[in-house]
Formats: sequence, structure tokens, C-alpha cells
Amino acid sequence: MTGGGGAEVAQAAAAVSGLVERVFVTVARVRDAVLHAVERDGLPAGRWVLPDGVAQLLREPGQLAVGLGLVVAPRPEEGLRQRLEWWQAEPDGGRLHTLEPDLRPASLGYYDYTTTEWYDVPRRTGRRHAFGPHVDVHGTGRYVLTLTEPVVAGSGFVGVAGADVPVRRFETSLLEALGPLPAPFVLLNDEGRVVLSTAPRFLVGSLLTPDAGAAGQGAPIAGVPWRLLPVRHGRLLAG
Amino acid sequence: MQLLSGDARRAVFAPLDDGALRSEAVVRRVGSAVALGLLADGEQLPTEADLATMLNVSTVTLREALAELRKLGLVETRRGRGGGSFVRSRDDVLAELADARLAELGTTDLRELGDVHSAVAAAAARLAASRASRTEIARLRDIVDRLASAGSVTGQRRTDGRYYIELAACAQSVRLTMQEMDLHLELGQLPWPPAHAPGLLDVMVAGHRAVIDAIEDRDAARARALTEAHVETRTVWAIELRLQRLGGVGAVADHREVS
Repeated sequence: MTGGGGAEVAQAAAAVSGLVERVFVTVARVRDAVLHAVERDGLPAGRWVLPDGVAQLLREPGQLAVGLGLVVAPRPEEGLRQRLEWWQAEPDGGRLHTLEPDLRPASLGYYDYTTTEWYDVPRRTGRRHAFGPHVDVHGTGRYVLTLTEPVVAGSGFVGVAGADVPVRRFETSLLEALGPLPAPFVLLNDEGRVVLSTAPRFLVGSLLTPDAGAAGQGAPIAGVPWRLLPVRHGRLLAG
Repeated sequence: MQLLSGDARRAVFAPLDDGALRSEAVVRRVGSAVALGLLADGEQLPTEADLATMLNVSTVTLREALAELRKLGLVETRRGRGGGSFVRSRDDVLAELADARLAELGTTDLRELGDVHSAVAAAAARLAASRASRTEIARLRDIVDRLASAGSVTGQRRTDGRYYIELAACAQSVRLTMQEMDLHLELGQLPWPPAHAPGLLDVMVAGHRAVIDAIEDRDAARARALTEAHVETRTVWAIELRLQRLGGVGAVADHREVS
């Protein structure tokens, strides 16, 4: 980078990182609450382990997440089936309610979360993950970023703790945090998908083609598989 | 009772807005929800008052519909503690309902439904060609593999619906995804063509695989054109079936397998 561009990229990357960490603070609180409950009571087949009070995190001022909770790792041999312990805020910001997705494999609307990346990556790697933007089809039905972290108790992998952040809310919050708009940039995830863009030619949700010359370039965002690239004259630059 | 959420379920209990608000519309909606597995055998329906509010029909209309569903054997009402209306999944009744629905539609209704489905699915396929990740493409392939090996009519219907809904999700569009849900609740009210000509399932599977190949090649124009052609073929199947039921010789003679 030349001139002030590097500083602008660093500033935008820091703002992204700040938002992401705020969400992971919430995820960590969900995880801790689950761990506490599991270590006390184990993981019963027929009863939630997530304490009710956790839902109130959704009401905290400045909360980015509209949904949060625990997604349980099924253990068929112990009679523990697929289960979500998930709270959602209504889109108008009002009522909190639990998400009750369809978990019957024979249904058109089957929510097979064990095959999703937000569940499978933390399960496999033991590390946190940021997935999206994605249409959470059969789940919340919203266009969201899903941030997750594995929950591992003495008894092994319990499931993932996570939070959903609507793409629009993430964009609005980041633009507010940045103040006057810096030079155009795009934020990419590890699939090369645009998470956020201040360059109209690069649409959120689109995948960058290999000839956009973006592989491995840009300023990495600490702790998530994202990177930020400046755009000049409609083209991506190596940050 | 706790109602399941999820987009497909929301579509099941979305207000009926066809103006007429007839009890048959409620019967059809419940029938297709059962055919698609969205309402499972033995599942309890919401209370009459809740159901009437959700579907935006009067309680009188709703009671008429429930009476009809009971007569058909798709709903069973138990009285007393733990009572309520429960879903009974019956393939024979669903097939009869689908035949009756086909008989009351004109060929232009079928064309209209096909036109909208073509517009939505082709747009989704075009966008998916530039927006679907490798993981998403692999998932589409997996769904079509399951369609190829699905043993029952209901299994095929549900898996085919999942293909279109997933395709719209690959397009990164919540709105297209919702449109597909709604369309499949309507398509689910009609007979399933491969139930009448089993070879058609192979045509569907090949058609979907060709679209996924185009998406993997990042060929948006081909993905779109193939999807349009495939949905049009299926519209022709539905119209052929409709005309065959009239006993027209010409309609049967004209039957051919378009790929």
C-alpha cells in the first residue's frame, strides 16, 4: 500500500475486528453458561441445559446478535437427539422466543445442522468459526453471519455455542463505527465471498472470481478467516 | 403447543390470500404440507382459533375445512384432556386430493404456475453460478443423489423440493428462497408426474445434474437456460396429465419424454 491507504485499511480492519470480538464475547458467555450447567447436571436427553437468563444477553444495549444459544451434538447411543437450545429476538426487536426448527429428516423443511459449516468446523477443529453470509434456510430464514465456538466439557464435545448477526445489522454497525467513509474496500471470507463492501460493484454475497486477483491478499482480520481488501478504480488491490 | 419455526413451516401457516378464502384452500394447504412432510403423521395442529388467525380465515371457514379434512381422513380429532386435531398422513388420500386439484385447474393455470416457477428457479440458477461456494455445490449434488435413490413418491417430492430451495439459498437470496417454499406448497397440491411415468424421475435427476454442472463451470447463462427448459418440460408433463384425464386420445399419443 502507498500513502494513507494502508492506514485506512488498518482502521477498517480494526473496526471489523472490534465488532467480531464483541459478538464472540456474547458467544463465550453462552459457552460458559452451558459448561457450568453441563458440569453440574450433565447433558440430559430431555431437558435444556442453557439457563433461561442467557436469553437476556439479546437485550443488552449494542448487542449485534439477534439469536444465540447452544446447538447440541447428538449422541444417538445415549438417546440424545439433535437439539437446538436457541433464543431469537423478533425482527422488530421485541419479544424473545425459542427457535423450534423442523428436525425430522423426512420433512421438506428438515434443518440438518450437523452438516452446516458453522457446526462442523468448530466440531472438527476445536476452534471458533465465523460462517457467512448465508441464507439460514430452514432455520431462522434470515441472511446472517453465524459465529460459533465449540463447547467441550469433561465428557467431550457437547455442541457449539453461537450467535447469529444479520448481515444488514453488521453492515450498519460497521459503517457507523467507521464514521466518514474511507476509500472503498471489500471484506472477504475464506470462500472468497463478499461479507461487506463499500464498493457498489462488489455485491454482498457474491463470490470473487479467481481473476479478481484476491487469493491470499489483503489485511487479515484476527481470529476469523476474513480479510479486507482496498478497491481502486473498481479493482481490488493487494492490501 | 409449540409451533415449529423454519421458513417452510412459516409458509404452511401463512395467511391464505387468494381472496376467496374458501375452506378448500385450507384443505389443499394442509394436504400439501402433509405431502411434503411439513406436517408429520400424529402431529397436533394448533387450536382452531390460532389456526384461523394464522391462515387469516374465519373460524366458520376453518371448522368447515377441519370437517372436510376429518372426512378425508387427514385429520383426527380427539376430545378431552390431551385432545385436539392430529394429522394423519395417508398417501392414498393425498393422491386423490392431487387428482381432484388437477381436475379443477385449467391448462392455463398450470402454465401460469410453471411460468412463475421457471422465473424463480432460473434466476436462482443464474445467480448460483456466480455465488454458490464449492461446499454449496457439493450439497446440491448430494440432494440430487438422494433424489435418484428416493424410494417413495413422498420422498422424491420432498427431495426435489429441497433441491430448488437449496438452489435459491445458493443464490444468497432470502426472497427467492421464500418464493420457492411458497411454490412448492402449491406444486405439492398436484400429482407427482413420476408416480404416473417412473421414467420421468431419471429425466429430473439428469436435468438437475446438468444445471449443477453448469453452476460448477460458473456458466450462468447455461445454468439459467437449462433450468428454464427443465421447468418448462415439467409444466408440459402436468398439462399432458391434465389432458389425459379427459380421456383425449391425442393427448396420450403426443406423450414424449423431453429431456
